Amino acid sequence: MSDIITSDLAASDLDMGDLDMSCLIKAVNSPQEIAAAAAHLRETARREEIAPRLVLEILERWGEALNDGGLNEVPGVAFLRLWLRRGTLEPALLRELGPNALSGGWWEDGRARLRAFPLGVVGHWPAGNIEIQPILSLICALLGGNGCLVRVPSGLVEVTRRIFEKLHEADREGLLTKRIFLASFDHARTDLHEAMARNVDGAMIWGGAEAVSQMRRLQFPHWARVLVFGPRLSSAVMDAETWGDRIQRSSWCRRVARDVWQFDQQACSSPQALFLERGEGCDPAEFVEDLRKAFEAENRAHPRREIEPALASAICLARASWLLNRDGNDALFPASPDWTILLGEGTEMPPPTQGRTLSVLVVDDLLEVISKFDGTMQTLGLGVRDATKEETLARAAGRSGVDRIVKLGRMHLFSSPWDGTELIRPMVRLVRHVGSQD
Amino acid sequence: MNPLLEIEQGIENLLLQAPYGMDPQQRRRSLLALLKTELAYACEQNSRFRNYVEHWPTDFRAADDIADLPYLPVGVFKANPPLALVGADEVKRTLTSSATSGQVPSRIVLDAATSRRMTKGVLTIVRDFIGAARRPYLVIDTTENLAAQSQLGARGAAVQALGSFATEIVSCLRPGRDGDSSLDLEKLLAGAAKWKGAEVLVYGFTYVIWTQLVQTLQREGITLGLPNARVLHSGGWKRLEQQAVTRDAFVGGVASVFGCAPERIIDYYGMVENVGVIYPDCDYGNKHVPAFAEVIVRDPLTLAPVKVGQRGLRQRGLIQVCSVLPTSFPGFLLLTEDLAEVVGEDDCACGRRGTSFRFAGRAPKAEVRGCGNLENTRYRQEQVGATA
Repeated sequence: MSDIITSDLAASDLDMGDLDMSCLIKAVNSPQEIAAAAAHLRETARREEIAPRLVLEILERWGEALNDGGLNEVPGVAFLRLWLRRGTLEPALLRELGPNALSGGWWEDGRARLRAFPLGVVGHWPAGNIEIQPILSLICALLGGNGCLVRVPSGLVEVTRRIFEKLHEADREGLLTKRIFLASFDHARTDLHEAMARNVDGAMIWGGAEAVSQMRRLQFPHWARVLVFGPRLSSAVMDAETWGDRIQRSSWCRRVARDVWQFDQQACSSPQALFLERGEGCDPAEFVEDLRKAFEAENRAHPRREIEPALASAICLARASWLLNRDGNDALFPASPDWTILLGEGTEMPPPTQGRTLSVLVVDDLLEVISKFDGTMQTLGLGVRDATKEETLARAAGRSGVDRIVKLGRMHLFSSPWDGTELIRPMVRLVRHVGSQD
Repeated sequence: MNPLLEIEQGIENLLLQAPYGMDPQQRRRSLLALLKTELAYACEQNSRFRNYVEHWPTDFRAADDIADLPYLPVGVFKANPPLALVGADEVKRTLTSSATSGQVPSRIVLDAATSRRMTKGVLTIVRDFIGAARRPYLVIDTTENLAAQSQLGARGAAVQALGSFATEIVSCLRPGRDGDSSLDLEKLLAGAAKWKGAEVLVYGFTYVIWTQLVQTLQREGITLGLPNARVLHSGGWKRLEQQAVTRDAFVGGVASVFGCAPERIIDYYGMVENVGVIYPDCDYGNKHVPAFAEVIVRDPLTLAPVKVGQRGLRQRGLIQVCSVLPTSFPGFLLLTEDLAEVVGEDDCACGRRGTSFRFAGRAPKAEVRGCGNLENTRYRQEQVGATA
């Protein structure tokens, strides 16, 4: 079976005007450009099916190509390289689209058979704080055979362009690139957001409360499927046996530091607080001393290149407010805003500061912490030695609205399901065929 | 010696100096010693402040530079009850900042001594710019902001701080029904007719002067004919920038309605948390620091002080204001949310010594805080809903 299936549909005579689909990121100025791009993408998706196996091959080549070009310093690119491997994406594809998904074939379902078909054009509104999110989002839709219309946030245009140069190298025939239209326009251009919404069959929206609310108000076609991710918070818990273990502790602290550093704590999967279960002979001061060393090491390896003055102010305020709030509150921080550890007690989730500011709170009972989660908690990082206890905590977390429960150090590993929902299946139609000759 | 007495003497010594005439090195040495004493005193008075200072990465007692002393972000004064170094019975007045709607204002407690020093500090500075003579004082505000009150907003505090220069005070706005105000033209014109040719001190918030006075007089085609007016204004440019009013347009408009030279209009930077210190523009457009204060501009990336010429001339950074004047609240060393650039060091052509800087606006709020930006959890929203 060929990986490319061309339909008998005649090529539509679209008025593409001056639209140049080959450029990496198009600075869009009019709703007409968006409509034309969407029509082109839809036509491509209808005329030429692409088997997921071929998509996986190209993505694997893309991942390998990302090794070059000085992209290693871009936050998330190291992860993206691994994520683009067949070994990562194929299991998710098979789980979500069925056992014959790789070849794009049908699979038996009782007396019928099922097969995934693309929705058509999926619009993507990635968050502006995660460098690789435009890529993560569109790949989910590409795996379902869709065309992708992506609004690249202004702050990510350059890094997205560099990452996409590598896709063009890996996809010489343009099998994937012709299914992608990257658009750049000011976030305040409501007319262009509206044009995107009008012209898509599905949408994947990511970001903070304000951005997500704004996009949800757009008028999508009545048939469009809209998937919204975010905003969410994340936290971590450790039982006394784990954090009290002087031998293993520094390794756990390095894991915490990794989760805090990646994405500068601005991701929905970033831990804002770490709750430590109180234990006999376990000294939180010793723990945060190890955590300090881990933070310093992480900071040496991944120093900040820039910071918004408002974030520097917020970090200073978080430090001061914490220490002025109670005599017993403790904190560790350097003179710079590089990192901050706020140590104290309490079962409430503190307001997030972001910017590598972690609250470490000692509690009597981790279940009490989890019982206060209110559905906004996305990921719970765990460091728990006892399997039975972990099972209890995981079940309680699931009941309290947590969607991901993972080992500390792996909080940002983007995998399906995310936010409690699958990533590929929502952007395909599962077609049921009951044979007429039965 | 009683530490408070020692502090009092130290402050008085600095207040007696010519505000912009001290040798910068000598001034910094004096300030450093006094600020250390004040920090130690504040730690004695407030255990939570001590907790903060003790967690500072370096010991303030060993510091040999003001920039190494522990500073507080101004946002801590939004706490309720206000952060104080005196008991409630000693508080004579509480100042509140001019927070925009939806924001929590800062609250600054003043005892009698700090209140007195606040007045003295402002007088010392303003005198250097406009001279010591008393003169008619035209307030572009309502009379409400002239009344003595235990709770005083930023506008009222600014209006009252200049009262010592007045032979008479005329406020030319009358309060409206919904908290707004309008120009009392009759009162204004009567004052202008009386003061023609005389030195007149005028003060108002920048946007109030523009919207209530200048625009109204321009509409009516009225010029006040006060060529010797000195117009001081403060409160920031944000609202005028939103209306696309440039500084040049503002100065030109004010000068034309008063009939005075543009040089007689002085913008100054200040905040209620930095009691007793204001930073007027000199004739060369720079701001200067008086003997009893200091300004440090910090690089947001490192929070280290920015020097002239570091990483390119005039690098912008967050403003830290320092003042020895307050003893009723720990407002000695405050990191603001404003930006400035250091222009020079002891080299301004106006002759004022020490650091000169230029205000560069409020640090813009982070535009994107991403998918982890969730200040309102469902739980918090329910709490807000329950208390609303």
